[in-house]
Amino acid sequence: MARDEQELQPRSDLTLGELDRDGAILEAVEQVSGETRAAFLGKAAVGGAALLGALAAPPIGQASAASDVAILNYALTLEYLQAAFYTETERLDAVGGELKRVPRQLGAVERAHVAAIKKALGRAAVKRPAFNFRGVTEDQSKFLKTAVAFEDLGAAAYKAQAARIKSPALLAAAISIHSVEARHAAWMRFLAGVTPAAAAFDEGKPISEVRAIVASTHFVVARPKTRARKKPKYGG
Amino acid sequence: MSDELPLEVLPPSGDDPRGSSRSEFVARAVLAGGTLAAGGAVVAALPRLAASAPSPAQDQKILNFALQLEYIEAAFYAEAFAKGKFSGDLREYVSVVRRHEQAHVAFLKRALGSKARKEPEFSFGDATSDPRKFTAAAISLEENVIAAYNGQAANLTKATLAAAAKIVSVEARHAGWIRAIANKNPAPAATDQPKTAAEVQAYVNRTGFVRSS
Repeated sequence: MARDEQELQPRSDLTLGELDRDGAILEAVEQVSGETRAAFLGKAAVGGAALLGALAAPPIGQASAASDVAILNYALTLEYLQAAFYTETERLDAVGGELKRVPRQLGAVERAHVAAIKKALGRAAVKRPAFNFRGVTEDQSKFLKTAVAFEDLGAAAYKAQAARIKSPALLAAAISIHSVEARHAAWMRFLAGVTPAAAAFDEGKPISEVRAIVASTHFVVARPKTRARKKPKYGG
Repeated sequence: MSDELPLEVLPPSGDDPRGSSRSEFVARAVLAGGTLAAGGAVVAALPRLAASAPSPAQDQKILNFALQLEYIEAAFYAEAFAKGKFSGDLREYVSVVRRHEQAHVAFLKRALGSKARKEPEFSFGDATSDPRKFTAAAISLEENVIAAYNGQAANLTKATLAAAAKIVSVEARHAGWIRAIANKNPAPAATDQPKTAAEVQAYVNRTGFVRSS
C-alpha cells in the first residue's frame, strides 16, 4: 500500500487512528491545554500527524539510505531532550502565569515528534538517554532561557540536515517539523522579552556544533544502573 | 545549464533519489494552476510530473513563485509601517518583520537575476491600518508562506533547498510571533502542513491584495 504517496498529499484522508496505532500521539494530545481532544484532532493533530505518519511508512530501516537513518537518529536525540525537558517541567508544576501552558503544549508536540521518529526508525532507533536537568525544570526563569536555547537549537539542527536528506518523504516530514521548532523558538523568545526573529535568515548548525552545545549543558547523563522493567509509555 | 542560480552551494550530496510520490504532489499544483487568474501563469509553470527532477530551471520557477509571496509580505508590512497606526507589540513586529521581508525579496531577486518577475501592484485597504484586520492578515500571510515553502522543499535542488530553509524558519518565527501577540497558540500542530502552489495561489487570489501582476 502506497501510504507514503498519500501522506505526501497536503490533504490527507488518513485518520489519526491509522497513524497512531499505539496511541502515543493521542496520549500526548490529550494533555494539550485549551483544546478538547476532539477539537485538537479535528484541527491540528490530524494535519500534523499525517506528515509525521510519512516518517513511519514505510519503516525507514528498509531500503533507506544509511545517512537518512543517521540523521533521523540525530533528530531523535534532540527530540528526546526537548520532550524530557518539557515533560519534567510539567510534572514538577514549577512554572506559572504566562508560562503555565508552555510545558504542556510544547511537551505534547515534542513527544509526538519522538513517537513518530521512533516508529519510523523501528529497531534502528537509539535508546532514550537519561537526563539530569540540574534545576532548570524547577525555576521559571531558567526554564524559559533553556526553552529559548533548545528551540533555537532544534530549528538550527533540522535546517542544517534538510539538504542532506535523500528520501523526499522524509524531507517533507523533517522540513515540516523544522518550521514548528522555529515557531516554538519565536514563542519562547516573545515570552522571554527578546526579539522572536533576530535576523532575516536563520543559519543552520552542523551536527558537531549542536553536539558540543548539548554536551556543554551536562543535561545528558550516564544511564541509571537500575533499569525499569517496563519502558515508559512514550519517550518524554 | 547556463541558468545556474547564484545561491550558496553545498558540497555535492551525491545521488538524489526520488519517488513518484513527489511527482504526484507536484502534479496537483500543476493541474489546478492553469485555471487561476493573477499569478496563474507562474503556478502553471511549476514543476511537471515525472520529469520534474530538481534542476536549476525548476528552482527558478519555484523561486519566482516564492518571490511573488515575498513581494506581497514586504509591501504589506512596508505600508503598515508607513501608515504608522500601531503601537506596542504590533509596532515592534511591523518594524522588524518588514526588514526581513525586504531582505527576502532582495535575496530572491538577486538569485533570479533577469528572470525575476516584476513586482505587482497591491491594494491592502485597511488591513495595514486596522489592528485586528492587520493581525488576521499577517497570520494568514505568514501561515501560507510557510506552507508554500514547505510544500516545495522536495522539489528544489539541494543547494537551493539549503537557502530556502533559512527563509522558511524566519517566516515560521514571524507566524509564532504574531500569533503570540494575538494570544493564539503560536504552534498549534506537531508539523506545519505543506500546501501546493495552487492552494497558495488560491489563497492569494482570495485576499484581493494583488491588483496586477
